[in-house]
Amino acid sequence: MHFLANHFDLLRQLFDIQVKNEVILKSQVNETLNEFESDVEGQLFEHKVLVEQNDDYVINEPYFVLFEFVLQQFKPLLPEEIEKYGQSIRTLSLNIKEGINNDKNILLDRIEALSNEIKKFKNAVTNNTISLLNESRELKANTRRIEYQEKVQKARYLIEYYIIPLNTILDLNHSQSIYNELLAISQFSNNKRFDYFDESIRRQFEKLYNLLKQVVKDISHQSTILSNELLPLLDRIKTESEYLQGFIYYLTNMNCYKEIKPPMLFNTTRDNPYSPYIYENTKEYFEQFKNEEDVFITEESTDIEQWIFNKSEYKSKLNSMLPVTDFFSWCKKALENEKADFDIDSYFIVTSLIFEVEYDIQRDRDNQSISLKTDHGEFIMPKLKINQRKNVSK
Amino acid sequence: MYPSKHKEIVTSLMSGKFITIDDSTFNVLKENKEFYLEFFDKSFGFDLKNTQEFYYLISDETNENTSRDISIFFSILCYELDKDGENFMDKLGFSDFHIDEIVEYISNSTWADVVKVNNQLKDADSIKKLVGSTMVKRNITRKHSDGKYSFTKAYRLFIDFARELIKTETNEAEK
Repeated sequence: MHFLANHFDLLRQLFDIQVKNEVILKSQVNETLNEFESDVEGQLFEHKVLVEQNDDYVINEPYFVLFEFVLQQFKPLLPEEIEKYGQSIRTLSLNIKEGINNDKNILLDRIEALSNEIKKFKNAVTNNTISLLNESRELKANTRRIEYQEKVQKARYLIEYYIIPLNTILDLNHSQSIYNELLAISQFSNNKRFDYFDESIRRQFEKLYNLLKQVVKDISHQSTILSNELLPLLDRIKTESEYLQGFIYYLTNMNCYKEIKPPMLFNTTRDNPYSPYIYENTKEYFEQFKNEEDVFITEESTDIEQWIFNKSEYKSKLNSMLPVTDFFSWCKKALENEKADFDIDSYFIVTSLIFEVEYDIQRDRDNQSISLKTDHGEFIMPKLKINQRKNVSK
Repeated sequence: MYPSKHKEIVTSLMSGKFITIDDSTFNVLKENKEFYLEFFDKSFGFDLKNTQEFYYLISDETNENTSRDISIFFSILCYELDKDGENFMDKLGFSDFHIDEIVEYISNSTWADVVKVNNQLKDADSIKKLVGSTMVKRNITRKHSDGKYSFTKAYRLFIDFARELIKTETNEAEK
């Protein structure tokens, strides 16, 4: 043990080599010794840690089992290897039941043998669960960076050859499962530990019952790990492998550019600078201006000829005509001579001549009125006679 | 009366966006699924599709090139993540990626023949545009600070599609 403790790292490396390659080559033993700068080659054989196998070496079985246990690195057992414990458990159990009243010594030996087989079975199941869990986790995380195909193959292999059969062995609902056999033995030993006539046999049944109580509990725990952790883990690897197979199929041989149609994806026109209706829309836009007449906006001319009253001219005209019997009518005629479309303001400006001091104004004797019709209305005005005032100083 | 956020829902879906379980409109859409199925069908002839995690519209006219490029993008990214020892389902579902990291996975991929003939994946700028613009606009990726992106649950459409290819192949082979 002292030797094992002192050279544990070296021995572990040899163990790892054997786990990986089944055997340890002579050259690998030398390389490992050199790496650890160790000269314990002789002791390795002296303590029978290494034994020869053909031209190579392997770690002696008891040591190998010890390392497996210490390092918790168990090579998973095939279900057939575990099942052999089931067979021997079933056979021993049957023999115990059938020979229950026969020879006491053989009964004791059989109970002891049965206990041993149950212990071995329990260890095998526990170790297998641990190793399968490690392998599955390692595979899941792909710590060895293995290629996809190999990973899928390995996952399938673990599921098919180790995990599903192990699950059957432990399955409570499976009538042939070893777990159910153990429950039956437990029940039987529970009865016999009380009602068997020989005390030493009763004690053996008591021991067997206590062992089974623990074993059933442990196996149930392993079964839980298997269903709650290992199977979902591997199921997930399986799911991932389906996805990866899909990706590989899609990408291989440029399949993605060939006949495989990708998922339907909504086609938006918002981002499309060229709408399928651009021609119609543009045409519609321009057509709304097509038939519109040209509009010319001409500003109203502000250049209106301003009429200026030439008072002296009108006065002289009036003077030459004096006496005038109808002043207002004269004003109209005089203005019409100058400007045919005179406005009413111009007319009244002309009539202001009446206020000139040199004229004498007389109302018509018959009180006649005259009428002047314009756009604005009709003006009724008195008929006035206008003459030169005689006494006006010049 | 229309459901709350009606305008937002219609605008998003009509612009080609996925509405995913993390969006505030997801539950409104879920609760009024029948209404919206009829609404899009009767109004535009569009089909509203959904999974447990997202809603999206499809029409007779599909944007096949964009869909193909996104499918290739996810196929390569997942393949490379797996090769790198990553759990691609967890990574896509729960992690942020720096754009340079994404570019590196695609550009250094073993699927170089597929990448080099694809205009959206052939170089760093194209990949950045696909992830940062095309996929953001459709709510397949979300942009965060410092050049980081995460994927919405819409990524499932494109990887489930690839998984289905194998099932279809297997079924056809069995026939």
